[in-house]
Amino acid sequence: MTTKDKYKKVAYYPGCALEGSGHSYNRSTKAVGKALGLDLVEVKNWNCCGAMEVKNIDPKIQTYLSSRVMSVAANEMDMDVVMAPCNGCYHNLKKAEYDLKNDKESAEVVDRLSQKAGHKTYESGQVETIHALDWIKDTIGEEGLAARVKNSLSGLKIANYYGCMYTRPRHIFPEKDAGPGSESTSKPHFMDDLLAAAGAENVDFPLKTACCGGAHTLSDSDISTKLVLNILKTAKLAGADVIATECPTCHSGLEMHQIRAEKTLGEKVDIKILYFTQLLGMALGLKARKVGVHENISDSIRFLKEKGLG
Amino acid sequence: MPIHEKSLIRPENLETHDALVIDGVDVSGHWSTFIKTRVVSDYNETLQDEIAALPGGEYIHRCWQCGSCTNACTVNEVNPDFNPRYWIYLIRMGMESELLRDKDIVWQCVSCNKCTYACPRDVFPEGVMKATAHWLERKGHTPKSPSTIFDEVFTEQVVATGKIEESRTIRRFFARTKQKLLQDWMIEMVRRMLSGLPIGMLTRMGLATFVAPRTSNWSAASAAIQEYIDEEHEKQTQALSLAELVETAKNDVAA
Repeated sequence: MTTKDKYKKVAYYPGCALEGSGHSYNRSTKAVGKALGLDLVEVKNWNCCGAMEVKNIDPKIQTYLSSRVMSVAANEMDMDVVMAPCNGCYHNLKKAEYDLKNDKESAEVVDRLSQKAGHKTYESGQVETIHALDWIKDTIGEEGLAARVKNSLSGLKIANYYGCMYTRPRHIFPEKDAGPGSESTSKPHFMDDLLAAAGAENVDFPLKTACCGGAHTLSDSDISTKLVLNILKTAKLAGADVIATECPTCHSGLEMHQIRAEKTLGEKVDIKILYFTQLLGMALGLKARKVGVHENISDSIRFLKEKGLG
Repeated sequence: MPIHEKSLIRPENLETHDALVIDGVDVSGHWSTFIKTRVVSDYNETLQDEIAALPGGEYIHRCWQCGSCTNACTVNEVNPDFNPRYWIYLIRMGMESELLRDKDIVWQCVSCNKCTYACPRDVFPEGVMKATAHWLERKGHTPKSPSTIFDEVFTEQVVATGKIEESRTIRRFFARTKQKLLQDWMIEMVRRMLSGLPIGMLTRMGLATFVAPRTSNWSAASAAIQEYIDEEHEKQTQALSLAELVETAKNDVAA
């Protein structure tokens, strides 16, 4: 079976953020999947992957939490691919996979906790974890996407922002930096490729993998605001109207600190922030509401109307 | 100059003279500033082992001081005093008092992992920063940082229910850090968030704040996780000799 076929039906792991602040990412991911004829089966009775916090209490608990999600997908649903649109979930499942394969102690702790919790222990290699970007890129691809575009994104200037957890640390992503066609950890381009296929003009944006300070968005807000402001201003200087995101923590961090910079530093940067799935959905002819644009904090409805989208 | 000697040229270690005669020679105008002699004697030889006993600090011994971590660091760009390379050096040398000068900023690591990406020796500096921040707290050098309090509030909720409901986490965090929840920018954010949302969506969000989402049949997992966390906490308490520390403090108070 080729990659394309294998990813056509995947276990879908939305994660906690996509049921809260990142709901528009959840809505738009599902809508895009439906429009493209891809099948998402939500992981049954899933739990939190551990996000960015649990590892600071104990890294092996984070490994266990992520392994349980993969165990459910593999052992209770008989799925071999888990797709996680959230960078945090995607990163943690990848990290758990790496640790379970390479660190005996982690595997022992996970086995002990799984037995006590009463479910099958996840064995490394049972599932492959992919991001929503891999999912669309490998099933539909740029050509397939271009052929399905009903409302071209032409005229939209986009800065593609990938954040930290999609590429770092590199050892947990063995499939990246692996020759032609693979994703790059230093200059990721999958989102650029997809949006370009949908007609957008991607600007040259040097802060693709800069940090938005998401881990300390509330506990050290001043640093987060500075980091976000830098990202917003650089995108604007690069000529972008829109920052495309692929992570709910980055996305809400950008939206939140855009407002905080305005309120506490008097610095207003007028740039729209949209999930790449929202942009792709509208390119596929979906209404703005269908892809949850009204659920975003940053208001881009009028801007999109002017561009003939949504 | 070896890195730690930069501490010798801090203002309090400098002596400046307007007029100076050395061995009968008037050197005024030639040399006027001297660095005080200082012999470092307060080494803490167990420092590296203690950091290595905490999660994330395991590979600190691999460091060869190339400085790629500090060069790549997100926080260093905002605050030049935030210097992972230097702290790793101090820990490996056992120079605790010098490390303590920066005790209030170590927790500010944002876990972007640029250091881990850049490190040629797999030191995992991000983990070392977390271990160091926890060491400072557990040894009583600093109060729990807002970041640690957030991690605790978050983890408690995951252990209890299996899932996170964000508004609950945020409210508990603000309450525990004694901050005002309704800050100007927060009110503005909620205002913008609510404008344009349909009633159904608002009801769903409202309900989530009363009925926390949870993973079903979670209680066995919850108990197993808590048991493990407690065991690890106890191991760390022993590795850091915290019982002795408390005993010493008691004796000091009694004396």
